[in-house]
Amino acid sequence: MTDSHPTRRTLLRYGAYGAGAAALAGTAASWDRLTGADIPGRNDGSLVVATLGPAYGPEAIRTLTDGFKKVHPDIKLRINAVQAVDWSDFFAKILTQIAAGTAPDLVYVATEGVQLFAQRLGVPLDDWVRRDAEELREYFADVHPSLVESMMYEGSLYQLPVEFNAADMYLNNQVLKRADAGFPAADWTRDDFTALLRDMKKASGSQFTPYFWTNRLWGGVVPWLFANDTNLLAESKAPGGAWLWDSFYPAGARKGRGGGFRWTTPQATDARVEEAYDYLASLVQEGLCTRPEGGNGQNLIGVFSTGRVGVTPAGGFWAGGLHLAGMRADAFDVQYFPRWRTQRMQFGAAGYALLRTSKLQEEAWEFIKYAARRDTLMRLFETNQTTPARRSMLTADRYRETGPDHWQVFYDTLDKFPYTGPIPAPPQVAEVEQVLLKHTGTALASRRSVGPALRRMQSDLEKAMERDV
Amino acid sequence: MTNTQANTRIPDARPKPSGAAPPRPAPRASARDRGVRLLATLFLAPTIVGIVVFTVVPIVGSVVLSLFHWNVIDDPSFAGAANYREVFTDSTVLVSFGNTLVFMVLAVALQLLIALTLALAVNGRMPVWLRSVFRSAFFFPLVLSAASISVVMKYLFNQDFGVVNWLLGLVGIAPVPWLTSENAAMATVILVYVWQQFGFSFLLFVGGLNNIPREIHEAASLDGATGLRKHLNVTLPLLSPTLLVASVVGIINALQVFEQPYVLTNGGPGDATRTVVMVIYESAFEQLRFGTASAVGVLLFVLIMAVTAVQFRLSRRFVHYQ
Repeated sequence: MTDSHPTRRTLLRYGAYGAGAAALAGTAASWDRLTGADIPGRNDGSLVVATLGPAYGPEAIRTLTDGFKKVHPDIKLRINAVQAVDWSDFFAKILTQIAAGTAPDLVYVATEGVQLFAQRLGVPLDDWVRRDAEELREYFADVHPSLVESMMYEGSLYQLPVEFNAADMYLNNQVLKRADAGFPAADWTRDDFTALLRDMKKASGSQFTPYFWTNRLWGGVVPWLFANDTNLLAESKAPGGAWLWDSFYPAGARKGRGGGFRWTTPQATDARVEEAYDYLASLVQEGLCTRPEGGNGQNLIGVFSTGRVGVTPAGGFWAGGLHLAGMRADAFDVQYFPRWRTQRMQFGAAGYALLRTSKLQEEAWEFIKYAARRDTLMRLFETNQTTPARRSMLTADRYRETGPDHWQVFYDTLDKFPYTGPIPAPPQVAEVEQVLLKHTGTALASRRSVGPALRRMQSDLEKAMERDV
Repeated sequence: MTNTQANTRIPDARPKPSGAAPPRPAPRASARDRGVRLLATLFLAPTIVGIVVFTVVPIVGSVVLSLFHWNVIDDPSFAGAANYREVFTDSTVLVSFGNTLVFMVLAVALQLLIALTLALAVNGRMPVWLRSVFRSAFFFPLVLSAASISVVMKYLFNQDFGVVNWLLGLVGIAPVPWLTSENAAMATVILVYVWQQFGFSFLLFVGGLNNIPREIHEAASLDGATGLRKHLNVTLPLLSPTLLVASVVGIINALQVFEQPYVLTNGGPGDATRTVVMVIYESAFEQLRFGTASAVGVLLFVLIMAVTAVQFRLSRRFVHYQ
C-alpha cells in the first residue's frame, strides 16, 4: 500500500513546473503570431472571388489573377477556389462563409443558384451594363440571348454568362459500329433513339447498357420533359428586360424575350410528365438504360470509353473529359437530344454574381467584364472542359484534337433551337432538386409506380414552393 | 493506499458514550489536500474548457437555434415551437427517424455478432503471427475514411457496371439492384457500414477475452463444461462489461450514421435510406432551414441520451463484473 499524497517537495516541484509552463505560455502569447487575418489577401482590401474549386485549378487561377492585374494593377484580387463536389455543395459552403462574416465579393454561380442569389444576395448589374453599353456590345453580339435571359431575374440582369452546357447526346462510335448503326440524323426522334438502343443491346454482351443517365436536375429526366414539351414547374417569363434586349439584340433575337424565367407552379402530375416517366420506366424495364442513381456520373467516362455504354446526355465539357481519359477524337461524337413532341433542349449556364455585402462593387464589376472577355475565356477554357458562352470561340481548330466531329452541335443547340431553355431553378431549387431525385428513384422502379410517385412528388413540390427560402 | 482509500474516513469502531453528541464540524482540508485539488484542476482545465467550448456551447446553441427561423442570409426570427411542430408533421423527418432506428438495430446486432464470433475465433488456437494478421485486417477498414470507402463501394455495388454483379453473373445470378431498389438499398448500406465498423468491437472483444482469467475456464472444464456451454455460461457473462461498452458506442455511432447512406444512395431510392443526420444536413445546408435542422438535431440528441440511459439501466441485470 502506498500513500498517494504528494510530499511538500513534490508539490514544490510541480509548482515550479507549472510556473515554468505559465512563463513559456505567456512568452508565446506575447509574441506576434499568425491569425486568420494574416492569410495573404484576407482583410487587405482585395477583391475576393469565390469559384468552384475543382473547375478552377492553379493554372486557371493564375490566368485570372495575372491577366486581371495587367488590366487593373490598382485592384488587388484573390481567387477563393472553394472545393465542392457539385453546385449545391458549393452554395452550401459559400453560405457558410457568408454566415461566418467572410463573404466573398463575387461568386461563380450556375443556373441552379442564379435566382437564389438574385433574390437574396445579388446586386443587379443593370446600371453598369447601361453605363458601359458600348464596351459590352461586342460581348452580347457574341453570346446567345437565351444564355443572357437565363441570368435575369424579375427584369434585371445579375450575371454575364461565361460558359454553358446543353444536354446533347454523346454516342460511342465503336458501339455504333458494333450495332451496324449509322450516326443519327439531327432531327432523329424518340422512336429512332429507342430503336438505336435496342440495336446496340442486341449487338453487345450482357455487361452492356445502351443508355446511361444520372438522376439529377441537369441531364436526368428533365431533358425528356423538355422534349415532351412540358416541365417540372410551369414555366413563364417575368416582365421587363426590354432595356437590355432593345439595346443589344436585333429584333429577331429579342422576340419573345422577357425579364427572366419564372418557375412557380409544380406540375409533376401533368399527363406529359407522366408520359416521360413512363417512357424512361419502359427503357429501364427493357434493360436499355441504367436505373436512376444519384451522383454526378463520375464513373461514366470509364464505362463509356471502354464501350460498355453506347449513349449518354452530356455537354461540351465531356469533349475535354473523354480526351483526358484517352479517347481518340474520332471514337465518339455528339448529336442533338432526340425530338419527341418538340426538340427543345435544356442547358445550364454560369457567371459571376456580385454580392450585396461587397464593399468593392465597382472593382467587382470590372472583374465581371474582364472575366467575360474573349481573350480571358480563351486562356481559361483551353482544354474543352466546358462550352464557352461566346459563339466565336467554338471553332474547328478548337475541337480538332479533342473532337467530336459534330462540335457545331454545342452552340447550334441554342442557335438552331432558340427556344432551348435553362433547367427549372427557382430560389427553392435545392429542395426542388431533392424532391425530383427522391421521387424519380421510386417512380422508375416499375411502370406501375410512376403514378403514385409523381403524386407524392407533386405534393412535396407544392410544399417546397410554398416555403420562403 | 489508493487515493480513494486515503480520502475515505474509516468509521470509529470504539463504543460511543451515551447521550447525543453534537456533530463534529467537517475537518478543514489540509494545505496538502488543497494543493492536490489545485493540481488536479490545472490538469483537468484544458479538457473542461474543450468540453465546454466544443460540446456544451454547440448543444446550447442548437437548442436556442431550434426556436428560431434562420436561413443564414436574413436575421433570425423567433419561431417558438414552430420548428418542432414542423418536424413532427414532416413525413421525411419521421421516415428518417424510422430508418435510423431500423439501421441502428440491424447494424449494431450484426456488428456485435460478427465481431464477437471473429474475436472468439482469433482468440482460439492460432499461431501468433496469424492472429496479428487477422487483427490488423479486421481493424484496417476502421482507419479509412467512411466517405472514400463509400465511393469505392458505390462502384462495386453499381447494378450495371459493378464488380459484385459481375461476379454474381459468373455463377449465373441475375444483376441485383443493390443501391437502386427500396428493399436492397438499406441492406447494402448496413453491409458497408458493418464491414467498416466491426473492427472496433472486435478489438474490444479481443481485449475483453484476454482479461478473462484462464483459471475460470479451467475450472469450468473440470466441472464438465465444453464448447458452447463454456462460452454461454462463462465467457459471455464475464465479457458482458465489454459487450455493454461495445453496444453503447455502436448504438451512438449508428444513430449518427451519415457518410455511407449519403454517398451510396443519397438517401434513396425515395426515402428508403434517408437517416436523421442526412435530414439535418439537407435542411441546414441545402434548404437553408437552420432552425428546423437544429430541432431535428435536438430530437436526435434526446433520442441518443434516452437509448443510452435505457442501456445502462438494463445493464444492471445483464452485466456481471468480476
